[in-house]
Amino acid sequence: MLTCVWCGRSFNLTVTVTMIWQWRPLPQPALCAVCCARLTPINSQHCPQCGRQQASNTCCRDCLRWHDSLRNRALYCYDEGMKAYMQQYKFQGDYRLRLGLQASLRTALDREDYDILVPIPIDAQTWQTRGFNQVTGWLTGQPFQQVLTVTATHKDRPQSAKTRQERLLTPQPFELVSGASEIVSNQRVLLIDDVYTTGRTLRHAARQIYLGGAKAVTSLTLAR
Amino acid sequence: MTDYSELFGRRSPVTLPGAPDVMTSPAIAAVGQRWQCQRCGQLVAATDRLPNGDWYCRTCLQLGRLTSRDRLYTIPEPNCFARLMAGGLTWNGQLSSIQRQAARAVQKHALAGERQLLWAVTGAGKTEIVYPALAEALARGWRVAWVSPRVDVCLELAPRLRRDFAGVDQCVLYGGQPVPYRYCQLTICTTHQLLRFNRAFDWIIVDEVDAFPLATSPMLQVAIDRAQKTQGSCLYLTATPGERLQREIKRGKLAVTYLPLRYHGYLLPPIQLKISWRWRQQLQRGRLPAGLQRQFHLWWTARRPFLIFVPHVADLPVIMTVLMKMGLSDGATVHAADPKRQEKVQGFRDGEYRFLLTTTILERGVTFPRVAVAILGADDPVFSTAALVQIAGRVGRLASDPGGQVLAYCHSNARHVHRARAMIARLNRQGRRRGGRPC
Repeated sequence: MLTCVWCGRSFNLTVTVTMIWQWRPLPQPALCAVCCARLTPINSQHCPQCGRQQASNTCCRDCLRWHDSLRNRALYCYDEGMKAYMQQYKFQGDYRLRLGLQASLRTALDREDYDILVPIPIDAQTWQTRGFNQVTGWLTGQPFQQVLTVTATHKDRPQSAKTRQERLLTPQPFELVSGASEIVSNQRVLLIDDVYTTGRTLRHAARQIYLGGAKAVTSLTLAR
Repeated sequence: MTDYSELFGRRSPVTLPGAPDVMTSPAIAAVGQRWQCQRCGQLVAATDRLPNGDWYCRTCLQLGRLTSRDRLYTIPEPNCFARLMAGGLTWNGQLSSIQRQAARAVQKHALAGERQLLWAVTGAGKTEIVYPALAEALARGWRVAWVSPRVDVCLELAPRLRRDFAGVDQCVLYGGQPVPYRYCQLTICTTHQLLRFNRAFDWIIVDEVDAFPLATSPMLQVAIDRAQKTQGSCLYLTATPGERLQREIKRGKLAVTYLPLRYHGYLLPPIQLKISWRWRQQLQRGRLPAGLQRQFHLWWTARRPFLIFVPHVADLPVIMTVLMKMGLSDGATVHAADPKRQEKVQGFRDGEYRFLLTTTILERGVTFPRVAVAILGADDPVFSTAALVQIAGRVGRLASDPGGQVLAYCHSNARHVHRARAMIARLNRQGRRRGGRPC
């Protein structure tokens, strides 16, 4: 009997023949089937650039407007279920909810090709109030390098409260920590963030890391 | 002078600068080897630690997260209210003689500061019976809370109290309320909101005390105890007290007032037991037992509105298609997560629908005129004894039409069905002694 971290109900794991055949310890899912169904995974039909779920495999309108080639992959659609998850995890600060998506992020990271993992940092004030970085919470022992820091000391409003135009006008909030260039130079860097909305934040971060001498920068987000 | 009333009797994670007599304590305190949240009283799990080393409480997360870095602030309740004439009561209805008797008993126990229970059958007019005692309490300058585990009960109650106690400052609190908290003499709130209060109320009235989630949550029961002052008391209102309360009555720890008669003086409609052998298997084959079909047709052609209770949400669409096939149109299904729940219930009340197919969510707190009730699978453990008595209580609530059928369709023999029937029989026996008329 397992307990779902999201809804708190207990549920049973349905053991399949595949699980027995793999001859491994049984997986311990943190989410029950009902809560899993609230999230929509992105399938192979997505934008080749930003990873948005769509009907075709051509570049989406938002990406055409960027005129660049940042490659992003996302795990889930940013729909009602994902918003509810983020609300509880990030804004209410329920750190235990991280367990719910750790497994899917682990499999996604195993598929990606990279040398260094760089999570998007949070500013000092958020660290004080929230007490955790929502991105590193999802990592399960994968080594990562915190090469970015936030310079904008005081955010007047959270990014999620702005309109698209306002978000696009956000100035560069990141800078490299001292000694970062030795770490990232000539490496393939994978940025990791929670939500890709306009792509502004990830492009700011990617720009700084390119300035540090990275060979390639791609990104992975939980939601798009 | 600045207004510090926001902290009176509260348990607030933010303080007001310069407030006098503020008592403060850490929000998460060490208890032996473990950590305990001081707002909800629950122990923090060993895994609920943030990377910065703080502990946080998951149980009361919905009220805003508390970490071991936070502190809780409170100012002891000073009861600064303007004295009211007649407790602000503007209700000019009349209580019947039995109701008046009960109201006097409730008032006596309340003023003596006793914990008490008002055990009144469904449709007895519990709210109005409390009015005299409430008016007296408010006139004495007491701070009173009227709480319920169900938000719909609070929302239905709030306008009634605003109308009947127009002279009293009131505020309504529930998760996602549109207006912020205000210091008032009369607070109407859900039991969860009581976690935010510390020794604030002289009297707490707990409506529908046996309803979910209060009945199964020790946290909320503790919340009621901690929200009342040390010399305060509480009044439980219900038609179906649970085992725990009944035990306390037997041991003499709880004063009790019985009211076995409805306000119109008619007895409760008894639950009629019907056997519907293997109805689930028949349902899988796309039909309902013949007796059921006949009964539904009878009600439908007589244009009597009827409620059909089923054990699970998953049963709703299946049974609905069968009913449609039978030719019973103008019905709707209602369940807890239904976005159109309120509209459908209102539509049924207005006669837009001729029947509702529902789960236990409509077991209490709703009144439909002339309704009849069928409980399909009453032997399912989903229907507790209390739930069955409450469901039976939906029938015959109007003085103009006090009768009506309650049919329980069972596949097997179940103890809780017999208990519910016995409870109604006992209440009716008491009611007959007080001059109740069978309907």
